[in-house]
Amino acid sequence: MTYQLCIDIGGTFTDCVVSDAAGDVRIFKARSTPGAFERGFLDVLALAAGHYGLDLNGFLGQVERIVHGTTVSTNALVEGKVARAGFIANQGFPDILTLREGPRKRAFEWRLDFPAPFVPPGRTATVGGRIDAHGQEIEPLDEASVAAAIERLRRAGAEAIGVCLMWSIVNGSHERRVAELIRAAWPGVPVTLSHELNPIPREYRRAIATVIDASLHATVGRYVSVLSRALAEHGFKRELLVGNCVGGMMPPAEIIAKPIYSVMSGPTLAPIAARHLTDEADVIVIDMGGTTFDVSAIRGGKLIVTPEAMIGRDMLGIPKVDVRSVGAGGGSIARVDVGGLLRVGPESAGAVPGPACYGSGGVDPTVTDANVVLGIIDPNYFLGGRIRLDPAAAAAAVGRIAKTLGIGLIEAAYAIHTTSNHNMITAIEDITVREGINPRDSYLVSGGGATACHIGEMAEILGIERFMIPRFAAGLSAFGGLISELRWGETATLHTDNRRFAADAVAELLAELRRRGDAFLARAGVPPGERRFEYVYQGRYEYQSWEIEVPFELNGEASPDLARLVEAFHAMHERVYSIKAESDTVEFTTWRVQAVGRNRLKERLADSAWPRQSGPLRPKAKRPVYLHAAGALRPLPVYDGNVIGAGASVDGPAVIEAETFTTLLLAGQRAEVDGQGNYLVDRGGQAGRLGQPQGPAAIG
Amino acid sequence: MNTETANRAQGGAIAPYLMAVLASRFEAIIREMTNTVMKASRSAVIKNARDMSCGVLTYDHRLLSVEEGIPIHITALDLTTRPITEYFDDIEEGDAFLNNCPYTGATHHADLTVCVPVFFEGEPLFWVLSRSHHADIGAPIPTTYLPYARTVYEEGLHFPCVRVQRKHKELHDIIRMCRMKIRVPTLWYGDYRAQIGACQIGERRIKELIARYGVATVKAFVEEWMAYGERRAIAAIRQLPKGTWSYETRHDPVPSVADAGVPVRVTVTVDPDEGMIIVDARDNIDCVPGGINLTEATASGSCRIGVFYNLDSSIPHNEGSASRIKVLLRDGCVVGRPKYPVGTSVATTNVNERLVIAVAACFAQMGKPFGMAEGGHMFAAGMAVVSGVDSRKQNHPYVNQMFIGYSSGPGIHGHDGWITYLASENGGMIVLDSIEIDESMYPIVVEGRWLEPDTAGAGEFDGAPGVKLVYRPIADDMTVIYASDGEINPGLGVLGGGAGAPAANYKRLADGRLQRLPAFHSEVVKPGEAMVCQCSAGGGYGDPRQRLPERVAASANRGWLSPERAATVYGVALRRSENGVDWMVDDAATRRLRGGP
Repeated sequence: MTYQLCIDIGGTFTDCVVSDAAGDVRIFKARSTPGAFERGFLDVLALAAGHYGLDLNGFLGQVERIVHGTTVSTNALVEGKVARAGFIANQGFPDILTLREGPRKRAFEWRLDFPAPFVPPGRTATVGGRIDAHGQEIEPLDEASVAAAIERLRRAGAEAIGVCLMWSIVNGSHERRVAELIRAAWPGVPVTLSHELNPIPREYRRAIATVIDASLHATVGRYVSVLSRALAEHGFKRELLVGNCVGGMMPPAEIIAKPIYSVMSGPTLAPIAARHLTDEADVIVIDMGGTTFDVSAIRGGKLIVTPEAMIGRDMLGIPKVDVRSVGAGGGSIARVDVGGLLRVGPESAGAVPGPACYGSGGVDPTVTDANVVLGIIDPNYFLGGRIRLDPAAAAAAVGRIAKTLGIGLIEAAYAIHTTSNHNMITAIEDITVREGINPRDSYLVSGGGATACHIGEMAEILGIERFMIPRFAAGLSAFGGLISELRWGETATLHTDNRRFAADAVAELLAELRRRGDAFLARAGVPPGERRFEYVYQGRYEYQSWEIEVPFELNGEASPDLARLVEAFHAMHERVYSIKAESDTVEFTTWRVQAVGRNRLKERLADSAWPRQSGPLRPKAKRPVYLHAAGALRPLPVYDGNVIGAGASVDGPAVIEAETFTTLLLAGQRAEVDGQGNYLVDRGGQAGRLGQPQGPAAIG
Repeated sequence: MNTETANRAQGGAIAPYLMAVLASRFEAIIREMTNTVMKASRSAVIKNARDMSCGVLTYDHRLLSVEEGIPIHITALDLTTRPITEYFDDIEEGDAFLNNCPYTGATHHADLTVCVPVFFEGEPLFWVLSRSHHADIGAPIPTTYLPYARTVYEEGLHFPCVRVQRKHKELHDIIRMCRMKIRVPTLWYGDYRAQIGACQIGERRIKELIARYGVATVKAFVEEWMAYGERRAIAAIRQLPKGTWSYETRHDPVPSVADAGVPVRVTVTVDPDEGMIIVDARDNIDCVPGGINLTEATASGSCRIGVFYNLDSSIPHNEGSASRIKVLLRDGCVVGRPKYPVGTSVATTNVNERLVIAVAACFAQMGKPFGMAEGGHMFAAGMAVVSGVDSRKQNHPYVNQMFIGYSSGPGIHGHDGWITYLASENGGMIVLDSIEIDESMYPIVVEGRWLEPDTAGAGEFDGAPGVKLVYRPIADDMTVIYASDGEINPGLGVLGGGAGAPAANYKRLADGRLQRLPAFHSEVVKPGEAMVCQCSAGGGYGDPRQRLPERVAASANRGWLSPERAATVYGVALRRSENGVDWMVDDAATRRLRGGP
């Protein structure tokens, strides 16, 4: 076995990052093929095979591992192209999916429609029977009402059924019986039971995950099966691994059984990449595309997993690696509001018509247009020259903003550029400050082709001293999938507290979770010596509703040390909320064991060096680029990022252009190329106070 | 945009982008504070329902940023800090003050507010505030809504701007008083500490912000931000017609407090030329002998809220925009400045809720597309304060407000009502309880919570349908206290729209019979009995016979409307589609019903 690879399918491009036997890594890109994403998948594989002088079958026969980040379920949900799910709930609760937990709105905003439920009332049915909070049956399941519900859903055209009954998490017998009756009456219809998929209290969160999962069975099942079959036919001998939304990977059978876990499968690989690229404890990972800007964070070396991820106007209901998307990208449109304030995005020119400079009919000024006017992007070297941009069109579009604001063209372009930066900064702060992370103390890793034009100023404003532009920034998620460890989480609920700690029950539970994780790693072919386990609990003070997540160690013991568990809780609570209450009872609710299979590739990559710089570094050209500190265009050296060797360094202000990204370094920023070809940028203690800008952009 | 506005935009001291940046920084700080209070609090009304707000004021009491808060909590926040600088001449960094007193600028006694000054290099520059609705504040009975409490003497603890911290250290005497007088003090103290934590975070973040951008820039921002708010408000008011409009709504009778109910009348005068709106609430009755009188903070806040609901929501709700709304109140008036020591226990809800909606509905008198209908009124037994002991947990006592179900929102031009509304004064910001969380915390079973058909106020744009719910205690007696407006005077429609269904509260007896309960009431429910509650539904906007037939069919398909009512009220004939489940419009029959060709 020679090759390992990861394929990440995005909206526009399908990225493939391959490592060969020597640990040499290459990136390949093909156009995505919405509607039949597997075609783009095979296209990019063929492209890679060609590079290694092999045909597809010859290549796949030598591939040891394929990890896949797929957009198929996210796209299906966003576009509403999922199966028509039916929903079975308790009598008295037909409106769980409508009422939610009170969907959020802005307090003063009334001109909006209440969001429609994920499953319309016509495909919702209720059944008699009730379990209480202690798992007692207070009313037996009314099987006649189940039969009527099934008939109603069938007539209403349901294609899959989600079942969520109250307190099934402590007694799942009613849900299981409903499933039996469905299978008997309607063989073949996919069924998701809430207590099996998502064993958490809060009925809306469990129910929404259940119906989303039900609605995805057909789409994901078909996609993964077709892909697996195609790969097998072309000589791939192993099992495909699909990246999931909690930072792990699942083989085909598992992801087909719980398809909701494939939501946001690609973007969650970006923080995984960052975690492997740097040893820093607190890292912010950003990825700016054409229309969206994705942010995620690593805290204390660990991915942040949120229980409150949203998809459209609904919660996802299951935990997900916290990757947030905002409408900020190269295509974001600039405008001036009635109060005279410049706004950029969230409206986007999209891929069609695209920014004005694409010359495809777009007239609205976008961030990319501003970057062209500012000289940051070379119109003749966009995507390595594959797309020619029209600088006159960019200037005309930005000129309209300049006229409205009564300022010069360059000043307007900079205002757009920096407003976009600030929008992205707000998104960064949203994910960091809410989680108790100070962005100033964090390391920043930049992914996506467009980000590097902006990262220098963002780092300066955020007060971030050091950041990284990885060599594979343009395919950061795919790179993450390539070097990622194999991860599999097993979760269970066991309520106890520090006053009456159920040590034996906890030990038994952890052992069982570990056993299940171990079985997964065995199935995935990870040798015993390469297996590792991580432990986390969710805890809260007595009477709190919201848990915080606290990692802990077992240190070879069967049961965790209670004093250390409690101490870690107080410390985490103080870190997140600035207060602790050491005399209060600490409650433990949920326990998780993460099974990890080590990936030796990372060590191999460390051995395969990016060629060292030989001889002095010379810019390939000079061109005028706007520098805010100077308040004017200044001729800056432009370096060819494809040839800068390891050990070389570039001092800003300067531009580094590679085929897949353009980097603007500001004054005081020094980029060094590490042994892997990543740019490590240090602001050299230049972080100072940012007050009034000095140049002409200081309007008025 | 006119050139004058554009020029003024450039006339400011700092660049436009920096203004947007600093504004969003302050909002992010408030978000972090809010998140801290919600996640670290112990009592359900705060941690689950999110009945709390945080805000930032300048040290000279100008409202800076509040976008994350509950409107009634934050719109007149300046009144809460103003007395502190009058009472104290030794305010220092590390101080914290407690204010919940209706006669020193607080909203009502349950909204305990922690106020912390923010100093930078010795100069006081801002206030950060955390306001949480506590489930108990030591009143004679276990609730913080006391419609029958005539004076402050019946309301429990008042803190008229009292120092509770010095040099960031707790002054234990005040806290000891609270722990002695407030029911379930451990719960209360956890909630209080969450507020302290939030204010500490806010203070720290603002100081970091000033350190980064410099005092001069931040000060310049404050002035520009106020000016921007004012410009935006002026621009929005210029879009409105010129004139004077009035609206009257009426709170239901409260026996012995207001036997004829409380009419709430407002007059709104719009002067587009000056960019000013005047809200006059003086033509109302005097204070009543009970707890439903408003405080100055709620009366002045509500008059502004009703206006803001009708302006572009992206206008910052700061001192600048508020300065374009002139509020006229009267001393000793039920919706004005109360006369000490009259009771104001229920000042944030009920009559106050009527005041907000009266102002908002006043705009509907301008005709389409302005204004909004009346939403459902509050608050029936779905939002009761429940108390008792839990014999399953060693007779552990509990007292808290539930949010199992609440009132639904008004129709507005272009949109049907927002369902999870609760009431006009909180902007739909209150979280609806999870049934499973309620059942795990209290010894109750909720038998159902659903949207009741044929309850929505009919209109060209419907009000939202009303929630109906049933819950019962499992093994112990439970005291249920509520104050249910909207039973006699439901959420009315405007411009030809119909009223939403009225609220109603019942007890289902052990034999299954329903017993109607009074509207303002405390009831002991025994095992085997159940509370049954219909929440008040939203009124409709415009003539229902103008409603698009497709929207009528959609309402039927959501289960909110019967075909009979579709025909009689909307003049739309519906028939079953082929699958026998969905409804569709019968065009020909509809034309006949609507008297068309």
